[in-house]
Amino acid sequence: MSRKEEILGRIRAVIRERYDKPSLDDLQATVFPDPLAAFIAASQTAGSKVVELATGADINETVRGLFPEAGVIASNLPEISIATLNPDTVGSAQELNGTDVGIIRGSFGVAENGCIWIPQAMKEKAVCFISENLVILLSKTEIVNNMHEAYRRVDLGDYGYGTFISGPSKTADIAQTLVMGAQAARSVTVVLV
Amino acid sequence: MSKHSKKAKAFLKDAGYSEWHDATFWAVREKRDNMSHGLPEWEQLREKASQIKLHTLSHLDQYLEQFASQAEKNGTIVHWAADAAEFNQIVFEILSSHGVKKIVKSKSMLTEECGMNPYLESKGIEVVETDLGERIIQLLGQAPSHIVMPAVHLTPDQVGELFEREGISDEIGNHDPTYLTYRARLSLRNEFLTAGAGMTGANFGIAATGDIVVCTNEGNADMSTSCPKLHIAALGLEKVIPDYDSLAVFQRLLCRSATGQPTTSYTSHFRKARPGAEPMHIILVDNGRSQWIGNQQHWKTLKCIRCGSCMNTCPVYRRSGGYSYSYFIPGPVGVNLGMLRDPRAHSGNVSACTLCKSCQCVCPVKIDLGEQIYQWRQQLPEWGTEPASKRMLCKGMSTVFNHPLLYKTATGVLPKKPFHSLKLDKDE
Ligand code: SF4
Repeated sequence: MSRKEEILGRIRAVIRERYDKPSLDDLQATVFPDPLAAFIAASQTAGSKVVELATGADINETVRGLFPEAGVIASNLPEISIATLNPDTVGSAQELNGTDVGIIRGSFGVAENGCIWIPQAMKEKAVCFISENLVILLSKTEIVNNMHEAYRRVDLGDYGYGTFISGPSKTADIAQTLVMGAQAARSVTVVLV
Repeated sequence: MSKHSKKAKAFLKDAGYSEWHDATFWAVREKRDNMSHGLPEWEQLREKASQIKLHTLSHLDQYLEQFASQAEKNGTIVHWAADAAEFNQIVFEILSSHGVKKIVKSKSMLTEECGMNPYLESKGIEVVETDLGERIIQLLGQAPSHIVMPAVHLTPDQVGELFEREGISDEIGNHDPTYLTYRARLSLRNEFLTAGAGMTGANFGIAATGDIVVCTNEGNADMSTSCPKLHIAALGLEKVIPDYDSLAVFQRLLCRSATGQPTTSYTSHFRKARPGAEPMHIILVDNGRSQWIGNQQHWKTLKCIRCGSCMNTCPVYRRSGGYSYSYFIPGPVGVNLGMLRDPRAHSGNVSACTLCKSCQCVCPVKIDLGEQIYQWRQQLPEWGTEPASKRMLCKGMSTVFNHPLLYKTATGVLPKKPFHSLKLDKDE
């Protein structure tokens, strides 16, 4: 008998009572009168900067304006012309180390906690974490209220990886002092388009 | 005096430190309260979470099968480990078959439970913890003192001096947490780039999709798996939940309960390896769990999602610290898990409870932790581990009660008004 069968058999042998799966239909989850405003507030609380792309403004100029000093900019988005590295064509994830600004696209945002769903859409997902500063482009019409609504929309895509990001990498491991920029991006800027 | 009481006594000797410890964890409890009070559906969420866990654990055979077959369909290699030794061996075999000499790893209480790090190190594999708190205690050669904030018992000076000794920081005397965190970032960045494999635990396994879900604030699980070409994920059997709808309930509860934030910075779903990388390995670890599920009195402890909030609120944990407990998981849930693991070795912990039940008021999956501890206390005679003083007392009493003559003599020598006369009784 395989280990798997042995373990499953042990569990089957000891379970006495089987409990039903609860229905979640009666769950009264928080919804917001203005989900976009709630999303912006939650993102800021999580440490993100939120900017709206002015009508007619160019995304490349906007990002440049936000990071005038940036040398290495990584992105595979077709509308980004200022990228100096492409996470689809780099030889290895390690080559993305030293990226000043990574620019990626989010599918939708969550009002209750500022999470943005990022399905992997590039060969090296490292760009989402290794960049010193992360810029996430998000359509302001794509905001859901809460995680229940969010998980009905989650799609990992072909790469089989996705993450909700809310704010920069952070830690309070030294004496409970909150510090932004632990192991991944030190800043997150959400650009609403 | 139990082992726990002795260690707690030593802990309390430094009054300033123990007050700070108490206040630090109480502050986390208050942050958690702010979150729970901010969600009108909080209690409903807890009730649903508890019911989903009861359902899943009582159908765990089915959900594990579904999880494993989904994961295999995704191209992942699934292993089953009966115990800690087998788990460690599987990890070592995967690593050595890929010629890996160094791994980066995100926080996992399961690898702690299995003693994986010392095992791999004895086999010549370097293990680098990448959660900042875990890294600090790893360099100090310590065990975690809390399951969510493993290094919170240390002061910035202690961390600063450690980093100076290790050559991680170069400004001697600069013990500012922001500076120290930055220096650790630089040092760990180098580890991520040069490790041969990344290892993660998992907060959840999703049966419907085969995803592994890992929640971190630092992004270290994602860094550990996006640079190296090999990802190994370790899961205790009880981590599997049915589907995304269930996950939404737990995701909303976990971080709010743990640190008082509405979410962790990263909630990452791993379904398969990235292009050009080796297939992902998932190891499902039993190590006692399949037996505990059959423990009629105590199986519900397996509902735990390891948020740590029962520790933060516990008046005994706050005033005795994580190292006073004999099991590697401290606080109310650790008392219970230790007893499931080995009641003879860990029964000293059951005295570390005032039965105030604050823990079960905050537990996001509504485990009746205090009741469970009370029950364990009643069971102590089964293992002969009840405190000697109590055993003598009970033995003496049963001798007296079973011998009428002795009983009369004994009560005859008691004062006429025994106990109530010690109180300030109004009519006296
Ligand atoms: S027992 Fe409950 S409160 Fe304690 S760590 Fe587990 S889930 Fe959290």
